[in-house]
Amino acid sequence: MRAFLDNLRLALGTFFGNPLRSLLTLLGIVIGVATVITMMGLIEGLRLKVNNDLGRMGAHTFQVTKWPAGGFGRINWAKYAKRKPLEMDDVRAIEQSCPSVGVVAPTDDEGGQKIATAANETQPSVQVYGTQTNYTLTSGVSVQSGRYFNDVEALDGRQVVVLGTDVADVLFPGIDPVGHEVRIKGRPFRVIGVLQRRGSMLGMFSMDNQVMMPLRVFQQLYGKSRSLDIDVQAKDPELFKKAQNEVTTLLRRRRGVEANVPNDFEIHTNESVTASFNQLSIVITIAGIGVCLLSLVVGGIGILNIMLVSVMERTREIGVRKALGAKKRRILGQFATEAVLLALMGGAMGVGLGFGLVFLVDWVLRFPMSVPPWAVGLALVMSCGVGLLFGIYPAARAARLDPVEAMRAD
Amino acid sequence: MSDGGNASKLIEVQDITRVFHVGGEEVRALRGVSFGISRGEWVAIIGQSGSGKSTLMNVLGCLDTPSSGRYTLNGKDVSRMSDDELAVIRNEEIGFIFQTFQLLPRETALANVELPLVYRGIPARERKARATAALEKVQLAHRMHHRPNELSGGQRQRVAIARALVAEPSMLLADEPTGNLDSATGEEIVRLFAELHQAGNTLVLVTHEPKLAARCPRAIRLSDGEVVADGPGREVALGIGQSVMAAGGT
Repeated sequence: MRAFLDNLRLALGTFFGNPLRSLLTLLGIVIGVATVITMMGLIEGLRLKVNNDLGRMGAHTFQVTKWPAGGFGRINWAKYAKRKPLEMDDVRAIEQSCPSVGVVAPTDDEGGQKIATAANETQPSVQVYGTQTNYTLTSGVSVQSGRYFNDVEALDGRQVVVLGTDVADVLFPGIDPVGHEVRIKGRPFRVIGVLQRRGSMLGMFSMDNQVMMPLRVFQQLYGKSRSLDIDVQAKDPELFKKAQNEVTTLLRRRRGVEANVPNDFEIHTNESVTASFNQLSIVITIAGIGVCLLSLVVGGIGILNIMLVSVMERTREIGVRKALGAKKRRILGQFATEAVLLALMGGAMGVGLGFGLVFLVDWVLRFPMSVPPWAVGLALVMSCGVGLLFGIYPAARAARLDPVEAMRAD
Repeated sequence: MSDGGNASKLIEVQDITRVFHVGGEEVRALRGVSFGISRGEWVAIIGQSGSGKSTLMNVLGCLDTPSSGRYTLNGKDVSRMSDDELAVIRNEEIGFIFQTFQLLPRETALANVELPLVYRGIPARERKARATAALEKVQLAHRMHHRPNELSGGQRQRVAIARALVAEPSMLLADEPTGNLDSATGEEIVRLFAELHQAGNTLVLVTHEPKLAARCPRAIRLSDGEVVADGPGREVALGIGQSVMAAGGT
């Protein structure tokens, strides 16, 4: 222990004896660790956000779709394209014959739309949704001013819209859009409400750059033969699984899926989406650790270099220490401690820099980042490991020096 | 100094040789050297360069081991010890004083003097107290927080002497201790050695300077790796009389 403290003091002396050189040497490790911290912060932030955002898909609600959701792997689109679309008949069947189901809300949507007024127009990037009134129950959307369309408007197919806040901000800067008119695909729509701001999905895709209109009107505009997404809410949280089973059984029968053949439709729950994201985040984490290891190796070579130089510069000192009674292990320990401490300092600076970047991203891009404590621990442990790995050879060289020869060095 | 001083010599060198292999050629630096040194003696080892005195100094200092022969230091046969065992012997038995001082430039005088105690595993507080006391002995306590480059040559050598004394070794081994000093400062150091000798320390002084060797009560002259004279310092150093082998021999 005493020997360790002495070594620590010596190592600190070396570091501060030539701080610039030490810093430059450590750059590799600093950058490596900063990268891993930032990456982990990003992934963890993303994960928390996903859990949070997906959690908004109302409670005990699941979604039935023809297409698999986003998905993070390769998707064989051709295979899914052959599936039969989900139609209003399916919606009605679920409503009628699934006792555990409370709300059935069919939706359809089309991206890349341009919304215009006489004075302004949006980028062609707006997501247009066709829904029924009960969409507010399954999706958790709500209006901040005006109102959502009612059943009469929905069934009649009135040309009314509820704007997302991004769209409202562009088309009606500084004024309340309710009561005004907008044009979508050349048709006039009356604005009856503005949605509550929802923020962005995963910090990247705004969920406010959208408009909602009655499904009937949507189908007149964009076609009827498209497959619907069906949001299904169980009557009760306890009936969630049961409702899924009922809907699955019903749809398999209606679509003529034989036993032992997988579903030809998809059921998404918050859990299933979160799970597939978690899988992705594991992949990114492993890739991140790989990148980090690589730069740590580069950093390690820096350590190797500075330690070899340090041993050479201090050959005489090593000779004196050995002459005065330092054993090999002691010299080995001195230089190994120095290498580890050097690497650890690099690691600590990397953690600092990483946190700096994380806060910067958080602040500038408003992307919530969160660094898991284990990532800090891992980064520091890996730094120490690198220091030891690359410091041991120069240290062993120092320990082997012959005192007489070493004291003659200049 | 360690006690138990009895009839046996502190240093017993019996027929030691040291052979180096340089580029396939054999260089016999020591060709069978024998002598003994008792506790409390002040002995100069004198010789021209190439006489083998540096090799002998390395062997006596346990920095090197003889190719053959036997070297007993303070009752321990050190001629066949491993590097780490020799490190312990150096730490416990020998206080080195080098021509070029060999102080660590980044450390203060105090830290330099503490060094042998560090490797003996002595706690910091005691180390500091003993190092301060050793610096007081060489009248340098007031400079103990200075680094070597802030000290004069004579002061540096006195720091080195304090470092050699601090661990209370059985002998002080000085290699050309005045070689890098002007004559006045050198004289000061020699007087310090005389005091240390008076106080009962065993001193072995390796030098090529007859004037310095003449100040020692006993001198051993090496030539071509052999002892050619051993006797009172004045006589051996200045070549008076023929005190070969007999006087201080075993």
